Amino acid sequence: MGMAEKRISVVCPWCSVGCRFYIVNVNGYPKKIEFDYDHDIRNHGKLCPKGVAAFQHLRHPDRLKKPLKRVGERGEGKFKEISWEEAIKEIAQKLSEIKEKYGSEALAFLGSERCSIEENYVLQKLARALGTNNIEYVCRMCQSTAVAGKGMVLGHPGLTNPFEDILKAKVIVLWGYNPAATNPVFFGQYIEKAILDNNATLIVVDPRKTKTAKYADIHLQPYPGTDLAIALAMLNVIITEELYDKDFVAERAEGLEELAKTVEKYTPEWAEKVSGVPAELIRKAAITFATAGTAALLTNEGVNQHANGTRTVMAITEMMVLCGYFGKEGVMSGAIPGAHNGMGAGLMGIGPHELPGRFPLHAEEHKRRIEEAWGFKIPEKPGITYVEMIDAILEGKLKALYVMGTNPAKALPNLKKAEEAFKNIEFLVVQDIFLTETAKYADIVLPAAAWFEKDGTAISFERRVQRSFKAADAPGEAKPDWEILVMLAKELGFGEYFNYSDADDILREINRIIPPLAGATPERLKKNLKGCMIPCPDENTEVPRLFVQGFLTPNGKAQLIPVEYKEPGEVPDEEYPFWLTNYRFVGHFHTGTMSHRSKSLSKRWPEEYIEINENDAKRLGIKDGDLVRVETRRAALVLRAKVTPHIREGVVAAPWHWDFNYLTTDVLDEYAKMPELKTAACRISKVEG
Amino acid sequence: MSKKIFIDFKRCIACKACEVACEMEHGEARIRVFEFPDLTSVAFNCRHCEKAPCMEVCPVNALSKDDDGAVVLDPLKCIGCLMCGLACPFGIPKIDEYNKIMDKCDLCAHRRAEGKLPACVSACPTEALKYGDINDVLWAREGKIVAELKDIGDRTNVLEAYLIR
Repeated sequence: MGMAEKRISVVCPWCSVGCRFYIVNVNGYPKKIEFDYDHDIRNHGKLCPKGVAAFQHLRHPDRLKKPLKRVGERGEGKFKEISWEEAIKEIAQKLSEIKEKYGSEALAFLGSERCSIEENYVLQKLARALGTNNIEYVCRMCQSTAVAGKGMVLGHPGLTNPFEDILKAKVIVLWGYNPAATNPVFFGQYIEKAILDNNATLIVVDPRKTKTAKYADIHLQPYPGTDLAIALAMLNVIITEELYDKDFVAERAEGLEELAKTVEKYTPEWAEKVSGVPAELIRKAAITFATAGTAALLTNEGVNQHANGTRTVMAITEMMVLCGYFGKEGVMSGAIPGAHNGMGAGLMGIGPHELPGRFPLHAEEHKRRIEEAWGFKIPEKPGITYVEMIDAILEGKLKALYVMGTNPAKALPNLKKAEEAFKNIEFLVVQDIFLTETAKYADIVLPAAAWFEKDGTAISFERRVQRSFKAADAPGEAKPDWEILVMLAKELGFGEYFNYSDADDILREINRIIPPLAGATPERLKKNLKGCMIPCPDENTEVPRLFVQGFLTPNGKAQLIPVEYKEPGEVPDEEYPFWLTNYRFVGHFHTGTMSHRSKSLSKRWPEEYIEINENDAKRLGIKDGDLVRVETRRAALVLRAKVTPHIREGVVAAPWHWDFNYLTTDVLDEYAKMPELKTAACRISKVEG
Repeated sequence: MSKKIFIDFKRCIACKACEVACEMEHGEARIRVFEFPDLTSVAFNCRHCEKAPCMEVCPVNALSKDDDGAVVLDPLKCIGCLMCGLACPFGIPKIDEYNKIMDKCDLCAHRRAEGKLPACVSACPTEALKYGDINDVLWAREGKIVAELKDIGDRTNVLEAYLIR
């Protein structure tokens, strides 16, 4: 047999821009990637370092190849290989036993933004077939405040416009978001072109001077988590100086009077005291934003991951509403999920209070419709959220956790507490491509196929539904996640509800169950690599711009709900005088399960370091490259110091891809249950010797 | 016509996609991104000099120019004497420790043969790297300013706008 070389089109498995490229495979073995300049796709052929290295981790020797059963202590990572039959049988037996003994509420499931929509759909269906709504995914820790905040104001959390619109924006605001490092292709192909070629003004809100802030005309550097003060002061300026779009607000929003009354006291001078940003700069930013004519305002985890995140998102969204920047060309509003299918997983109903299609659990009509199609009842009681699951395990309420393609033992805040929970849970199953930190605690580990090793659909942050195709064979006995779940469902006696023989079967069911996805059929997505933007109610329709007619609130008007200031979850004091925050390296992804195992990436971004302002460093006698002890009320880490003028005084920052979350607090946002991941109070000292 | 990789320093965000793309093609990155304390960054590769010192000093004629003007190394002729590395004002040719011969950028000769762009240029998400003939690249970059000059006609304003930029 000759060397059959094939090029297969895939969606990039890292961030949520939705880049496509080819995997070149030789007889099922991935040989290299090739850039796609043939099609009209979002990345125009371009890729970031993670994209270029996207296949490196596929054939890493650490890949899981057979099901494993724990033989050592939890967390120790000692396992023996078992057969698929044994593994599935044991899981089914144990889940049934726990359900019998403690009730369905003792079971919980975690889905994944790294798996396809088909797989997340099957997982939540299985959880519900077992009688529980304890089903969650990591969106709770990245986007949930944006979903809640924008949901309350606009009725929909999605990115409002297609990427091209950013090229026409007069002002771009990047708030708590550093796309030059998190989404380089989106930055280079759209934002940078708008700035350098089309003279857009850039306003950046970030405590660090990032690669993105390098391009800023106005850079506001608040203390981490005090962004809400800036947003409220900008609202104050926009309202008191009457810079808002009066016609738009009169016609399409309600609640201006209440909002105006509330923000009256939040002057730029007040915000300066809270955030440390000069009042004049806040005023200048507000005026620049409000008078631009068209604006793109993009937020990310710098806004989202705080205990006051929902309030901040609401205030920022209300700025956009006041200025009438919705439903037009040349504007954009949205939060940018970290992972390539963050939006898709959520839409599948992976949420303790949500049905597929993001309908609330109490939406009776939809519930009945879905129950009828499925053939079984959806449990009534809302489930528990991600971070709250840890407390539920420690309290003995949650006995079994089934984890698909995600790594909570490294992603959760206050990791020592999380580790305690994983040590004490009665039964833990992890299904993944590597033996993650979480898998080391598991009773059974199941080897999953990686993204390029299966057909699947993902939804990018642009609301674009795209198909990715199987481009390589999975190693050993690893299987696609949906196939594993179907095997388990059959063993549990739910075979009739899970009668799928390929990913297309599942997608067709999704087309029937979730109306906004009715038109994203397998046939359409295979024919059209660029995909389609949801909502796509039929095969000929897609919706590039949201809110052209009205908002998706019950009465179609934006709700200008008054927001009061609230501090982030933990602020510095005498004992812990520094603000601690985190950031990402362009070459690493989340908990590093894949990127730390990618040779070209780990070589270039080998270790973490903590950024400290040069004046603070001088005061503490710390020189560049010294080892420093970073201590919070939860834990301490020893990191190398990077002395820099690019972070504001009083703030220190480290990347979160390593052990950062030992330091963070698990205080939650009251609306979205988002933990305070982006700031904590800490103290710094030089490690002598 | 001689083609080269041109670098727009203004657009580079130091993401190192070019380095990783080059490493994927050649096993070792032949382009390198240098970062400076003021956040500027420069991706730097072989300049494929018009009058290439490396070629002039090579005692065995292992270096030559191909049809696109790239300075390429013939691994069968190279004796690993390091002369090219010494002569290069940019320190580009490096010794391949395993094979004991030199290694340098050839503007992805194998990709150009298939009608593709060099890997670093293909990847660069911000288009800080451009591959082409100097006149085309310059015209693409400066053409906009010239068009503005023609369009507005008011030379003072345009000059001011240009200087501010």
